[in-house]
Amino acid sequence: MINLEVNLGPLRLKNPVLAASGTFGFGEEYASFFELEKLGAVIVKGLTLRPRQGNPPPRIAETPAGMLNAIGLQNPGLEAFLERELPRLRSINAAVIVNIAGDTEEEYLTLARELSETNGILALELNLSCPNVKEGGIFFGTSADVMTRLIRKVRRVCRLPLIVKLSPNVTDIVELAEAAESSGADILSLINTLKGMVIDVSRRRPLLGNITGGLSGPAIRPVAVRMVYEVYRSVKIPIIGMGGITNLDDALQFFLAGARAVAVGSASFINPYTIPRLISDLQLFMESEGLQSLDEIVGAAQR
Amino acid sequence: MLSKARVLKIEEIFSGCFFLQLEEQRIAGDSLPGQFLHVRVADNTVPFLRRPFSIAGASPRNGTVEIIFRVVGEGTRILSRLQKDEFLDCLGPLGTPFSPGKEFPVSILLAGGAGIAPLLFLAGTLAGKREKILVYYGTPNSGELLTPDKFLPPGVDVFLATEDGSAGFHGLVTDLFERSLKDDPGRAEIFACGPEAMLKTLAKKNRSWGFPMQLSLEERMACGIGACQGCAVQAHRENKTGYLRVCRDGPVFNSQEVVW
Repeated sequence: MINLEVNLGPLRLKNPVLAASGTFGFGEEYASFFELEKLGAVIVKGLTLRPRQGNPPPRIAETPAGMLNAIGLQNPGLEAFLERELPRLRSINAAVIVNIAGDTEEEYLTLARELSETNGILALELNLSCPNVKEGGIFFGTSADVMTRLIRKVRRVCRLPLIVKLSPNVTDIVELAEAAESSGADILSLINTLKGMVIDVSRRRPLLGNITGGLSGPAIRPVAVRMVYEVYRSVKIPIIGMGGITNLDDALQFFLAGARAVAVGSASFINPYTIPRLISDLQLFMESEGLQSLDEIVGAAQR
Repeated sequence: MLSKARVLKIEEIFSGCFFLQLEEQRIAGDSLPGQFLHVRVADNTVPFLRRPFSIAGASPRNGTVEIIFRVVGEGTRILSRLQKDEFLDCLGPLGTPFSPGKEFPVSILLAGGAGIAPLLFLAGTLAGKREKILVYYGTPNSGELLTPDKFLPPGVDVFLATEDGSAGFHGLVTDLFERSLKDDPGRAEIFACGPEAMLKTLAKKNRSWGFPMQLSLEERMACGIGACQGCAVQAHRENKTGYLRVCRDGPVFNSQEVVW
């Protein structure tokens, strides 16, 4: 058996396929389909300091080869996560990465501090790119200055590997990626959803309760692949690539563009077994291609 | 949980409304009234999301399971073109089913339009186990009625309402039910499925009627298993008010739980 282990800077994973934040809850539901232990890591649903109700429905819309969501970071808050969700994830040996979001710098810092002191968390992913909340989220992810200030402060209190998840809703993602790297990010995740909207023609109103939502699914894959390709050329830190991955070929595009790991998001909604299947397909691919390590193909499409 | 079910029969009951019978032993054996199947209509990225359909009937003995759907968009249009012996990718059965109480000798089923589907299944499982099963069924007009006798077990009393008066009572099914209200709330329980306006009316009126009442709700869904939080409904449960998931915490809710 070929070893799929991968090092992302300071973060060591058993394989390079992760569950993307927001599409996998806290793992409880998918645990009835397969052993979460098999995953490279579960990036849990965006966690905030206090519980969040989320946005009014409808929260979901079908779009060509994809979907819009406007959940609005509904989550039980830090305390319930530490009491209930994390112990459950640890008991089934899941590799846990916690995605954190806040309205203010202080909230990010409190979360980073508290979670750094908790056992059983592999890394933190800074959510600077949620398009569905009024404050915070994307506000921190669209200006290099604001982002730099936040990452520097989080870096000082965070003892875990720090992943920064970038928004595609910017003029130049490379500028943001460079800012994240120089202010202390260990790893970059890209991309989050693209902000979009659907209008219900019969009601002459926006379809979603939140008016706009985040676009995901195969529709955004070419945008995501292009962004990984461009960012890879200008940063040294590893990239977790995501955006519309449904199968091996999709994932290979990301590796070839420069991602050292990939995350699967909305494809899990269509087939809950997408991630374990991708891991075994990747294994078979490496065997048939005679690859000893994925390093041999990471960034191989760069010209 | 994920199965390929073979199409045994697909039939247009009335214009744009289809009855689909599938063969899949595990699903047939596990399904309970109120649960749904999350169906992938095409092996493609368009349409992208699965579509949830209430289970309209299941026979563990025959290994069959049924849904009824109306063509409302691209997903259901593709589904309506299925042919006998083709296979359909089904996730399920999913969701929290109806929970009928043995202490109630009378079951009252209130259906609006395609909301009849889960209630047909429920009536089938209650038949012979209750003193009386009453079905109140409303549609906009007689052209959109499915023949209840064909889908319901014998011994069920059916009362029809159409909004244009072309069959049965002239008006809304909620009004028909209110006029014929005579059952004692201590002896009867209500199960309802239909458009939101109908369920909202029922839930409000039931504050004075006082029946135990279970409602089956509908919402746009992505995962169908409770992970994505997409199908939110505002509700009270366990002394908390917040958004619950129609797919997992429901689709069946007690009428007092839902915040309208």
